[in-house]
Amino acid sequence: MNVKTAFFLAFNSIKRGNKGTLLMTILIMTLAYVNLVFVSSIFGGIVEAINQQAIDYQYANIVIEPSPDDRYIDNKAMGMIKSIPGVVGSSAHYIDKSVIEYDAFNDGKDIKRGQWALKSINPIDEKNVTKIHDAIIEGSYLEERDTNKILIGKEVSGGHGGNLEYLSLGVSVGDKINVTFANGIRRLYEVKGIFSTKSTAMDQTVFITEKEMESVLKVRNQASEILVKTQVVGGEDWYIEEIRSLGFKKEDIKKWSELMGFTSGASSSFDMISIILGVIGTVVAGITIFIIIFVSVVNKRKQIGILKAIGMTRGTIVLHFVIQALFYGLVGIIIGAATILFIIRPYFLSNPLDFPVGWVSLKVTFDVIKTSNLSLMAAALIGGFFPAYRGAKESILTSLWG
Amino acid sequence: MIIEVKNLKKTYLGRIPTNALKDVNLVVKKGEFVALMGRSGSGKSTLLHQLGLLDSPTSGEIIIEGQSIVLFSEKEKARFRLEKLGYVFQDYALLPELTALESVYLPLMLLGFNKGEYIAKATSILEKVGLGDRLHHLPKEMSGGEQQRVAIARALVNKPLILFADEPTANLDTESSVVILKLFRELNKKIGQTIIMVTHEPDDKKYVDRVIYLKDGIIQSK
Ligand SMILES: Nc1ncnc2c1ncn2[C@@H]1O[C@H](COP(=O)(O)OP(=O)(O)O)[C@@H](O)[C@H]1O
Ligand SMILES: [Mg+2]
Repeated sequence: MNVKTAFFLAFNSIKRGNKGTLLMTILIMTLAYVNLVFVSSIFGGIVEAINQQAIDYQYANIVIEPSPDDRYIDNKAMGMIKSIPGVVGSSAHYIDKSVIEYDAFNDGKDIKRGQWALKSINPIDEKNVTKIHDAIIEGSYLEERDTNKILIGKEVSGGHGGNLEYLSLGVSVGDKINVTFANGIRRLYEVKGIFSTKSTAMDQTVFITEKEMESVLKVRNQASEILVKTQVVGGEDWYIEEIRSLGFKKEDIKKWSELMGFTSGASSSFDMISIILGVIGTVVAGITIFIIIFVSVVNKRKQIGILKAIGMTRGTIVLHFVIQALFYGLVGIIIGAATILFIIRPYFLSNPLDFPVGWVSLKVTFDVIKTSNLSLMAAALIGGFFPAYRGAKESILTSLWG
Repeated sequence: MIIEVKNLKKTYLGRIPTNALKDVNLVVKKGEFVALMGRSGSGKSTLLHQLGLLDSPTSGEIIIEGQSIVLFSEKEKARFRLEKLGYVFQDYALLPELTALESVYLPLMLLGFNKGEYIAKATSILEKVGLGDRLHHLPKEMSGGEQQRVAIARALVNKPLILFADEPTANLDTESSVVILKLFRELNKKIGQTIIMVTHEPDDKKYVDRVIYLKDGIIQSK
């Protein structure tokens, strides 16, 4: 095999061959590449949106729960979690079951009723840990001193296009609702605010202040769960160790990704779909190159005969077609990567897609780029090799004169 | 003796098998300019292809420079063609994407010469065939006669043991044909180039040392 001559012929073919064909080929390669990167990146973006949603509204980074034998976390060190370097904040919740009733005309008839998760928050602590305060769509967020006020999700209130509208109470800010706690205590609260996240589960939650909850449950300085927010996502294991060393020996401490359960299952399904679509994209790119090189080989049948008559080996002839195919692939990758990085990605970053799971933009990672590069080059190699090999296998006289 | 052919047979298999060469025996001496003549279909091209290692005979022996070439592997044949043989075809057989100069230095590139060497050698041989001012022309930018001279330059650039030509002037006007034939004669005289040329033009006899007549795949007379 004479590599130098193979390169020489390949580049003359590209330079002096039909420009229209060359542009079409490169366009197709570019589209094939953009398709590969785009599909993986959009799925990556969806998974990230799901995760971000869970971190922002549901779990923060770390969740501390009581040991299975205890009802509440009762730990003097609760206040010290905040002081671990890198921890942005921590927020203790009480969790209770509630039956909520709304009597629209205050006449004891047509009472709407439902069961929702009830949590308490310290509004100031919570602000450092979740983004619920940012998700208020009507009314306002709770204040520390509020006792007869309640913050409810849009699935509870209704009227904001929730998924479970038919179960909602149909209340607005200012309406008064009756809450019956698990211990039987019943209190009347005024709806202070309504919030909307992208999580149906979250929007089925209601919040009262910690102060109010403690007076109902007759407890103090305990918690059903503590959420811990750290500066960066990814270092949770280290923080869990730090929290344990503060004295949380028997508590159940988990990071957000362990708590995702169903949704992380969903994200692995997305990974699967993304891989399947990637494989299909690669195969399509490979077949496209195959066809392009096949047509080129058919058109160059006579030239192959000439090259062989001169004494060029089959290997060099195949190599010269493969180099062309790899060149098309490489140019497709360069233009495609530039298109993704400088046009498509910036566009999606400033115009993210409104998905049910959150705001989705492209997550173009080095891994996605690397995999796509390898896939397209492998497709070019294989798609270029087979037609060239077949063409070069013909006898000289057949190639020369059919 | 540069070529020795013994009991050469070539049968094209197919729907109706054709015995294109029946029992060919011949000898060509070094420095000879031989014409292969005969009616269309008499087996001239077939014989040339067997001698030039472009095809494999059904049976028989071909000895070139003492080497029995019929048992060569595909690779050995390619190497032998590259180093020792040159071809000129009726239809020029140039690569459309290469300039005259590139076409001519291609075999030298394959032989591993460096850039300075192959450009110098290719330029000099193109000048010898009268194309010093056409170095950077593509085939489509040249006349048939010019293209055929590029093909001849390409065939000669590796200083082949034998130059094979299959009706090299069939597509050319009389004037261009004479240029080519005179060039062959001169090469043969000056550097002792061995040439085997298929032709159907009786007039061409005056340029060659010897004529071999073929009829129905059999050699007629010497
Ligand atoms: N590839 C082939 N397959 C079948 N028959 C062939 C093939 N090439 C040549 N022939 C037949 O072999 C005979 C000799 O052909 P050829 O050598 O081309 O003759 P010439 O060059 O003298 O005109 C003819 O009968 C021709 O039809
Ligand atoms: Mg013929």
